[in-house]
Amino acid sequence: MTSEREGRQPFLVLAGVSRHFGATRALDGADLKIAPGEVHALVGENGAGKSTLIKLLSGLHQPGGGAIVIDGAATSIAGPLAAEALGFRFIHQELNLVPHFDTVGNAWIGRRHPHKGPFIDRAAMRARVAAVAARIAPDLPLDRPAARLTPGQRQMAEIVRALMTDARLVVMDEPTSSLSEAEAERLHAVVRQLAASGTAVLFISHRLDEVMALADGYTVLRGGRTVGAGRVKDIDRAGLVRLMSGGSALAEALPKAALRVASSRDVALSADIAFGPAGGRAMIEIGAGEIVGLYGLVGAGRSALLKALWGALPVTGSVRLAGRPLAGGPAGRIAMGAVYVPEDRRREGFAGALSIADNLALAHLADFRRAPRLPLPARGRIRAFARDVGARLRLVAASLERSPLTLSGGNQQKLLFGRWLGRPIRLALIDEPTRGVDVGAKAEIHDEIRRISASGAAVIAATSDIEELMALSDRVLVMNGGRIVADLSGAVLTREAVVAAAFGHAPRSHPHQPNQTAAVA
Amino acid sequence: MTLLRRYGTLLALALIIAVFAIASPGAFGTVANLVNITQQMSLLAIVAIGATLVMVVGEFDLSVSAVVSFAGIAAVSLFGVGYGIATVFVLVIVAALAMGTVSGFLVARFAVPSFIATLAFGTIIGGLTFWISDGATLFSGIPPAFRDLGRGAVFGLPVPTLWLIGTAVIVWLLLDATEFGRRLYAIGGNREAARLVGLPVRRDMIIAFALSAGLAALAGLLLAARLGSAHPTGGGGYLLSAYAAVFLGMTAFREGEPSVPGTLVGAAIIAVVSNGLTILGVPSFLQDLMTGAIILAAVLVRQFGRAGD
Repeated sequence: MTSEREGRQPFLVLAGVSRHFGATRALDGADLKIAPGEVHALVGENGAGKSTLIKLLSGLHQPGGGAIVIDGAATSIAGPLAAEALGFRFIHQELNLVPHFDTVGNAWIGRRHPHKGPFIDRAAMRARVAAVAARIAPDLPLDRPAARLTPGQRQMAEIVRALMTDARLVVMDEPTSSLSEAEAERLHAVVRQLAASGTAVLFISHRLDEVMALADGYTVLRGGRTVGAGRVKDIDRAGLVRLMSGGSALAEALPKAALRVASSRDVALSADIAFGPAGGRAMIEIGAGEIVGLYGLVGAGRSALLKALWGALPVTGSVRLAGRPLAGGPAGRIAMGAVYVPEDRRREGFAGALSIADNLALAHLADFRRAPRLPLPARGRIRAFARDVGARLRLVAASLERSPLTLSGGNQQKLLFGRWLGRPIRLALIDEPTRGVDVGAKAEIHDEIRRISASGAAVIAATSDIEELMALSDRVLVMNGGRIVADLSGAVLTREAVVAAAFGHAPRSHPHQPNQTAAVA
Repeated sequence: MTLLRRYGTLLALALIIAVFAIASPGAFGTVANLVNITQQMSLLAIVAIGATLVMVVGEFDLSVSAVVSFAGIAAVSLFGVGYGIATVFVLVIVAALAMGTVSGFLVARFAVPSFIATLAFGTIIGGLTFWISDGATLFSGIPPAFRDLGRGAVFGLPVPTLWLIGTAVIVWLLLDATEFGRRLYAIGGNREAARLVGLPVRRDMIIAFALSAGLAALAGLLLAARLGSAHPTGGGGYLLSAYAAVFLGMTAFREGEPSVPGTLVGAAIIAVVSNGLTILGVPSFLQDLMTGAIILAAVLVRQFGRAGD
């Protein structure tokens, strides 16, 4: 051991760390080893535990089990200041710059400023930042507020801030996800430069080509556990995909959804649209009675696509339901028999100040008038509707007159489905049907989705939960970078194929079938 | 166009002064009147500078006018029981700092929205002030030397103007040239980032609220000195004008952030409009109408400027 170069000894070891949030195991025995000067990639699906692991390193969470070993000694990282003192620097995905501070001002936040007498010495501040920037980003504007920098420049400003004092480890969470090709190249050069100077870099990336090109070592997390680690030169992309998805053997072992015969399906929904600020494009055809799962990593554009179809985001192109164009925003869609279940039930789903019954009636207030032209709510009919819906969905509520905030997460989620019942549904747009919902309610919600589908509705269900995706979907569309990159059904619909497509990796075992792929290049 | 966007508020001030100077060269446009305006704006500006500190961290302090009233009543009451000028100054300011600390604590520690916390606490302070004063205007027992702190002139400048200059310079340096100031702006700009790099977010926010109340108390003391009396609602008019000055100031300089120079420009606009319209004999309701319209215009110009970026 002593003969080996100091540079190759891991200085940071996470040994079997775990962290639970309530009943959810975010980390459940994760291992990680990083050596000085190493570029290490941390990869895994949504919810594999990557963010939680980084929060342990930054001191924002404490491990519930296992140990963080630094330079051979078990260490507890009490908080952000302790992490800073250890030489750990973090570049979070949502950038943490003060928008109206320039690069110099941002670099000094939280540090002891140079002083001249009682006042801060702006010239010295600028000189120190300029010296750091000269090494890694000589053309970074130092005097421009962060709000007016490009995403790539902001990233550089964060790195400059990280390097103001000696850093042993720089952690980057998806550093290139919002960068252009040229900016990403630039960032890669900086990462290599950091590594060459002995600083370790740990980065999370969903771009496997980036991992292969940039990293020395890798660690794969799945379900909060480390399922693979080693040198990047000893593995290929397909190998990483296998580790992340749990391998093809698992995919076949999955219970398949209630098989429904998809005979001569009419096309219910057809859309060819451009949407959202990030320039998403999609061409979709969905049959009546079909459940289409929508998968993609965080930021792939699933929610934006559903919102666009719902008319809640600016959208160009055509959306037709049963041959008739959908227009007029959400109200127009509701009138044509479309329904929408948003991703974030508290923020987008219901009004906490209204009762459960009133929330259920909210989407069809005109149906609950005392008289057709008299906009006064008929309380009795609203209560009766709420009781019917509550019985059908087995809603567990102390009283339907209480706020939905008094309900459990599963029952809140049922409420979002319940408000659409009692009218024919022709299109259901569902964003995360069961996030944060217990197992029992999950099964009941899945049953409800199948009932909606069986009544002849076209269903699109976006989910981050791959188990749910496989259990619920007749067909799966995978999104990446705002586009649909794979359309999988039948024999090619495997967990492995879904994950590979989401990570932008076309598996060689499944040759492209042009008629199966609705990607708009 | 860029110039108008950047310095529109400053240009507006210059334009307003020019218009009044032409309309009323004999009365408005004299050096004596312009000096007088600096005196008329001084107390408002001191309160507004305090409000600026709280605005920098992204919060509101709606208790400032209650503190202004409280300070005057408390000071005259203390004179009445025989305390000296220096003692009264220290006691009143310390009491106000404590009040600001309570507001800041409610906001920073318990995440009570500052609108609600300071509205409620300001109401409490108002009740306390009525209790102390029995609802009456107090004027007996004020030492003549105390009155000199709010009137007269030194080196040709009115004393209140000198207080304003002193306050403005100190707070401006504090915000612009100290680490504390950088921290306040960082907290206001991105509180989560400030927390993640380990800044003492709560402590700094509490200090900002304390200083705001302290400056409101200073204005209250000077008001009592100038009038030679104190009324339990004497500070009532300062709250909205102070925030109007801060908002106007935010349209004046640097990225739309609150700043001391900006607040001074804002307070000057309000004072100049009021002074000029009074000299022209315009009724006071029209003055309010004008002031409100100017604030809206400044903010709208700023918004269009943003859209053009």
